[in-house]
Amino acid sequence: MDGIHDLGGMHGFGAVVVPGGEAPYHEPWELRVMALHILVELQGLGAGPGGRATREQMDPAHYLQASYYERWLWSAEQRLMRRGTIAPGEVEGAAERLAAGEPEPPRSDPDQAVRAIAWLREVIGLQPVTRARFAPGQRVRVRRMRPAGHTRCPRYARGAVGVVERVQGADTLPDLPAAGQDKPVEPVYAVAFRSDELWGPSQEPAWTVALDLWESYLEEVA
Amino acid sequence: MSADHGHHPRPDPEPALRARALEALLVEKGLVSTDAIDAIVDLYERDLGPQHGAKVVARAWTDPAFRERLLGDGTKAIAELGFGGAEADTLVVVANGPTVHNAVVCTLCSCYPWPLLGLPPTWYKSPPYRARMVAEPRAVLREFGLELAGEVEVRVWDSSAEVRYLVLPMRPAGTDGMSEAALAALVTRDCMIGTAVPVAPGPPA
Repeated sequence: MDGIHDLGGMHGFGAVVVPGGEAPYHEPWELRVMALHILVELQGLGAGPGGRATREQMDPAHYLQASYYERWLWSAEQRLMRRGTIAPGEVEGAAERLAAGEPEPPRSDPDQAVRAIAWLREVIGLQPVTRARFAPGQRVRVRRMRPAGHTRCPRYARGAVGVVERVQGADTLPDLPAAGQDKPVEPVYAVAFRSDELWGPSQEPAWTVALDLWESYLEEVA
Repeated sequence: MSADHGHHPRPDPEPALRARALEALLVEKGLVSTDAIDAIVDLYERDLGPQHGAKVVARAWTDPAFRERLLGDGTKAIAELGFGGAEADTLVVVANGPTVHNAVVCTLCSCYPWPLLGLPPTWYKSPPYRARMVAEPRAVLREFGLELAGEVEVRVWDSSAEVRYLVLPMRPAGTDGMSEAALAALVTRDCMIGTAVPVAPGPPA
């Protein structure tokens, strides 16, 4: 979906280098949320679109105001509610009990800890490409589109012509499948775009932006 | 933030309390354990970090055959050093040279090679970096104090799929004879994101 998360090229956000920007997080709960999100996935406690696709459904003002791990907290809750693991209002209820001084429950499960670390150390690469429509060196155009659901094709590249730089492997198309169909597995290409093709004239000397794009996002250039 | 909580509307708890509440709830239900959360936090805070990426870079600087393997198949090459895992399942290493400088961004979320660099800094995940790095890279690099010569081609890699990128910086001049470990100490996190370049140690004062 063409949401607030699709930030490439936008103006108005100010400086990159700002006080506090070096730290990976600012409060201890943020890392616990990161870990919690990982365990929700490992234990299959969530349902519906994945964490990334879910975070794109945040209210745009909330998305911008929230810290990175607050977004993870939000998506974990949504996924847990979709599966019925937690009910609406339960988190607020638990928060009230904690605020009233109820102690946090501890629980040890060494096996879950071991499985989580093993899972995070596992390497699951892209699939081999069996059939590729485009070859390195070939010019391709990014399709014009306005998908209602999740996509990994950023707005700034749509309609632009680039050159296939490498075939990265094959992967499941992250976009919503057509009604009644499974998501296809497709080649993913690194496509290099000249800066003027994407942005028009600039005060900076020309640069290149390379993007990884699924085959469905691309069309041949006549 | 306007979720409808039925006929018992309550004010939204602030994120810190909300996070504690969600954890307590899932622990109470017997679904997650606090020691598994501790173990994951420990992994990302203590075990993984840019020291891993720096080792990969220093090895590539000192072992031409490894460098070739690294640029050919990053995932396999880092596995030789015992590195890899979630968020570096398919690793592509892009090499800087005298006329090319690479930098990495993720405009759509904040994809980052966690097993090699650890937790991403806040600026990497922030709207300004994600918005500007693809559209005015030299202005962003200048904020980091990196001024590149005009003839250097900047190549920005936007991690839009399940490929993670690591920049292989150029070995600085004046580092001949340095050990692999001493070289690794020159390689900062930002050198491997592409917002800095390694600098040789100055002469002793």
